[in-house]
Amino acid sequence: MTGDDQAGLPPAAPPPTGPPPGPLEPWPETVRWQSVSTDLIWVELLRLAALIVIVLAGLAVGWAISGQAVFGVALTGVLLLTALRTVTIARAVRAWGYAEREDDLLVRHGLLVRRLSIVPYSRMQFVDVSAGPLERAFNLATVQLHTAAAATDARVPGLRPAEASRLRDRLTALGRDRAEGL
Amino acid sequence: MSEPAARDPEETRPPDPPPHPGGYPPTPPPHPGWYPAAGMPTPPVPPPTERRQRLHPLSPALHGAKSLVVVIAALSWSTLSRVGVGWFAVLAVVLAIGATVLAVVSWYNTGYHVVDRELRVHEGLLWRRIRAIPLERLQAVEVVRPLLAQLTGLAELRLEVVGGGKTEAPLAYLSVADAAALRQRLLALAGPQPEAAALAPGTPQVWPEATPPGEPLHVVRNTDLLLSQLLTPQTFMIPFGVVFVATQFLSGDSWSFVAVASTLTAMAGVLLQPIRRVLDNWNFQLARDVDTLRTRNGLLETRAQTVPLHRVQAVGATWPLLWRAKGWLRLRLEVAGYSTGEIDVRNRPDQLLPVGQQPVAEAILAEVLPGVRLDDLPLTTPPPRARWLNPLSQPVLGAGLHERVFAVRSGLLTRQIVVVPYARIQSVRVVQGPVQRRLGLATVHADTAGGAGAAASDRAVAEAWALAAELTARAHQARRANRPQ
Repeated sequence: MTGDDQAGLPPAAPPPTGPPPGPLEPWPETVRWQSVSTDLIWVELLRLAALIVIVLAGLAVGWAISGQAVFGVALTGVLLLTALRTVTIARAVRAWGYAEREDDLLVRHGLLVRRLSIVPYSRMQFVDVSAGPLERAFNLATVQLHTAAAATDARVPGLRPAEASRLRDRLTALGRDRAEGL
Repeated sequence: MSEPAARDPEETRPPDPPPHPGGYPPTPPPHPGWYPAAGMPTPPVPPPTERRQRLHPLSPALHGAKSLVVVIAALSWSTLSRVGVGWFAVLAVVLAIGATVLAVVSWYNTGYHVVDRELRVHEGLLWRRIRAIPLERLQAVEVVRPLLAQLTGLAELRLEVVGGGKTEAPLAYLSVADAAALRQRLLALAGPQPEAAALAPGTPQVWPEATPPGEPLHVVRNTDLLLSQLLTPQTFMIPFGVVFVATQFLSGDSWSFVAVASTLTAMAGVLLQPIRRVLDNWNFQLARDVDTLRTRNGLLETRAQTVPLHRVQAVGATWPLLWRAKGWLRLRLEVAGYSTGEIDVRNRPDQLLPVGQQPVAEAILAEVLPGVRLDDLPLTTPPPRARWLNPLSQPVLGAGLHERVFAVRSGLLTRQIVVVPYARIQSVRVVQGPVQRRLGLATVHADTAGGAGAAASDRAVAEAWALAAELTARAHQARRANRPQ
């Protein structure tokens, strides 16, 4: 979609030496962030619900059998945490963002712990496009870029299939052009 | 997070790789009578498509003997106390014989050959598996000779390939001459300029020789090694451990023999680590041969490792607290292919210098990364407000951009410097936790293909962004500069 005019942006190879200190937006003048689909909120909520149901069922059974108050406390704790997480999921999803620069892909995410990954296309080993049953139900997909370093964290969830395949093709094309590997 | 198995390129390949575009004659179909007779000398100059070779015929016996140890460990002390010594021995022997029979079957079905620029390893009886290992991706080669292999004149050849969750294709076992010849050949094929490196196999290889080939760089004195391992926390803990077990044992009959034996075994695993280090690094020799580093070490199990210099991902220097009086430090080399989560540290033979003085370390570092000096790195400390997160270690933390490398320093008691060449940076990450956000700090990670990479912790946010931008730019430049080779 906007990938081509992204590539036409001023080259980001010599980034500004004194960027303004923004918590999430390092180089606003050269980087155009794209956000992920807000449908991801529902996917995340349903995922959370599924997990919580299992945990709560386990705790409730434990409470019913043993009658220990510890289970009750744990149950309340889990419910409180769930409520907190439900409130923050929307913001967390909005915090996901990615940007395609000339030589690298930027991915940012996280609310409490904020993370920004800068992955050069030339280091790409392979690209994963995956869509679980929940994501498929909402017509979403996840693109993940892998490098030779296990610590690299470049996963972009909540993309429309068309955008996901566009990103995949673009990444593989750029990776092929500039392949460097190790 | 790391899924080494999932990213193994060889796993995802079709079982029979399609012919190489280079167009060599296709491999003739294998049939049972087709292997060369075992123990036959290998042809010195093999044709482009060479015959599959078997491992050394003594390998199953060695595997069986090795499995005996595993079997005994698996049966453990509690089984011993339950069934008695006689039955225990019978059980162990039966299981070991079973393992040996399996090893014979697997040996019969295992073969390897070099095709074009690939090493192909065929294995398996029911599930046939052919691994094609592209030699351009070879990171390091290691010849390991456990005690039993030394007695029988055999050696194991291990290849490290990027993406392999574990050591890829351990060829166990080959005769020593075969292992050395194959290593030489694989390295020649894997080198950046195959035609230049191909001259190397012409020189006669005598192995095992006392020193690794090439220009010797350093030999670690065994007395230093011994002393350095005495100066470890484990050594100081041994008396406490012994006293603990003794008091437990004497204080009553609550502890059975099994409990004491198991505790001792468990403690030995931890406390005897220094002894293992001494045995592993005995006679440590480092040499440089054209553009590869060669190390040779070990008392009971000798290892000869060969790392091409352009495969070095990072170098780490560690100054343990107790070594400071001696001015000693340890250097290690990170090579891609050894997975970060590998539990057995012994299988990460990336020691560059087990113990040594600073000048020695500088000399070695100059060979690996010319122009980089440990005492001359432009390290700066994070801002004073980082004290809230690192009350004591704030003055120790440091990060800096050298001309060729990104360097970070950390550790109050065990000081550590990690040096990553820009060309080896795979990705850059900026991470900011909640407390860091309040203080206006962020941590910058430079990820590498081997090891944990380098992390500049708790830099001021503006500096962190500048650092990330600069690292990305310099990594890009360094790669571009490397490309014309």
